[in-house]
Amino acid sequence: MSVTLDVVERSGNTMTLSLGPQHPSTHGVLQVIVEVAGEIVERADMEIGYLHTGIEKSAENLFWTQASTVVERMDYLNPLGNALCYVLAVERLLGITDRIPERAQSVRVLMSELSRIASHCVWLGTGGIDLGAISTFFYTFDIREDILALIEASGGARMHPNYLRVGGINGDLPGGFLAKLDALIVKFPQRMRELRTLLQNNPILRDRMIDVGTISAEDAAAWSLTGPILRATGVAYDIRRAFPYSGYEKYEFDVPTRTEGDAYARFLVRLEEMDESMRIIAQVRQELERPGPIMIDDPKIAQPPKETIALSMEALIHHFKIVSESFRVPPGDVYQAIESPRGELAYYVVSNGDNRPYRVRTRPPSMYNLQSLLLMAPGGLIADIVVMIGSLDPVFGEVDR
Amino acid sequence: MPSSQNPSIAGLALDPTGVRPDLGDAEVLRVGPSEIHATLTALRAGGCTMLLDIGGVDYLGREPRYDVVYHLLALPAAAADVKTVGRPRRVRVLVGVPDAEPVLPSAIDLWPSANWAEREIFDFFGIRFTGHPNLKRIQMPEDWSGHPLRKDYPLRGPAKEATPRPAFALKSNVPAGAPPAGKVAAALQRQIARARGQEPPKPAGDEA
Repeated sequence: MSVTLDVVERSGNTMTLSLGPQHPSTHGVLQVIVEVAGEIVERADMEIGYLHTGIEKSAENLFWTQASTVVERMDYLNPLGNALCYVLAVERLLGITDRIPERAQSVRVLMSELSRIASHCVWLGTGGIDLGAISTFFYTFDIREDILALIEASGGARMHPNYLRVGGINGDLPGGFLAKLDALIVKFPQRMRELRTLLQNNPILRDRMIDVGTISAEDAAAWSLTGPILRATGVAYDIRRAFPYSGYEKYEFDVPTRTEGDAYARFLVRLEEMDESMRIIAQVRQELERPGPIMIDDPKIAQPPKETIALSMEALIHHFKIVSESFRVPPGDVYQAIESPRGELAYYVVSNGDNRPYRVRTRPPSMYNLQSLLLMAPGGLIADIVVMIGSLDPVFGEVDR
Repeated sequence: MPSSQNPSIAGLALDPTGVRPDLGDAEVLRVGPSEIHATLTALRAGGCTMLLDIGGVDYLGREPRYDVVYHLLALPAAAADVKTVGRPRRVRVLVGVPDAEPVLPSAIDLWPSANWAEREIFDFFGIRFTGHPNLKRIQMPEDWSGHPLRKDYPLRGPAKEATPRPAFALKSNVPAGAPPAGKVAAALQRQIARARGQEPPKPAGDEA
């Protein structure tokens, strides 16, 4: 670590150090400027924006059908979750929320829960590396690889498949998908047992995490923390339960909470969340036996099936219109939130009636979660900053957008 | 272009907010810039414990030009399980901000999470927040000109000369136009000069 800690300033008994922006433990491109007295952090500040790519501006200049491709790039560990939140917002503005076919809803829930597990796998693997537990990384990336293979099989790409569309999903699940999913459902509990054996009672990990980065429920609300970090302070706020979307109210699952509010509590909450996600996936798996439509029955919104284009003039016209100028969305503004692996991910989408979104404002959970480092870091050890950042699980594509 | 696809759309709306309150995603309030702080204080006292987000929208051509949008959530005090949390109240407060005087009072005294959110609004829209302790750009570089999410800011501009920045320097420590220092930056400048077919600047050691 001493290699990247450049002394920026020295005065009196304190020293100002720069942690990052290129440091593996910062999980992206984050610069933390810490003022330390000995090893105790007196003050911490952060520089973000190194990964800013103007996604919100790009989205304003794309068709409604195209903008889902750029919003997927925000949280690159949960691209399908971002896409889901965006399409839900657009569907709400279009007034077609109730007309989305059941099978499409099931696939959306399946994809968002698979993404949650894959995202937590990255958090657990890289968080383990931060603390010196290198082998965890290989166990978790084994699960993630299986999940990315499933996403690739259905959407065509591992990371940004643009599989969820306004009105449904793009193409049904391919043959052999359910067999692969079954294999994952069978394999997963064993893998989780291994991970728990490796980590949960590991004395080094407990020493590093317990009572580090502790946050009270009041502070969590004031600092706008959501997701596993809020639930680790004892608040059972989960948008899948509080404001259900895509049929989450149908499924049985618990919302794991802890009351300690420290890094170890967040670790346990996320581990339990992975089990709960798999519980939902097993229930969705039963529904996927039944075939059904996967796109809304509305030629103004859904592209006609490819094979009809050569046979029907109407299909050809509809296809041409949707591809060349998208559809128009009635004027209005809507705030649509979903439970991303990092907390409340929301889009505030404004339409002025045109074929492009007027404004797509993201509520980035990572940014607000990361901001709380300003509260957590002072008073702790400098080495604990690494643990704190890891426990906040920020994704910089989303922090910087 | 009027739509032939959806007959409910007559044309483009200059102010789409409040057109369709039936969406039911939140309680919507609209207040003026002078009342915003009192409104937020009252909402905070009335149980809106969380300021989820502050967003901005530029309605170019409308007066007032900007909307700043506060998304609030009222989490109950006792929230140990999903049943007691229930369906918490969501409130959306919209404030019109005129272009002539784009200033709002900061909400940082009510919710510390307003810190980065307000900096982002300042960065992207140029709206200033009085009482903010550290109001500077957050996503764009410190020496950037213009506010990218304004509607009159172009999506693409003329390609600018690439200004090499010193590696690992604080963004805020580099004054605008300062020549980059250090071996890495010097090597980078030589590379750039060679790529442009110019005489590469001599390494500092050669002159002696």
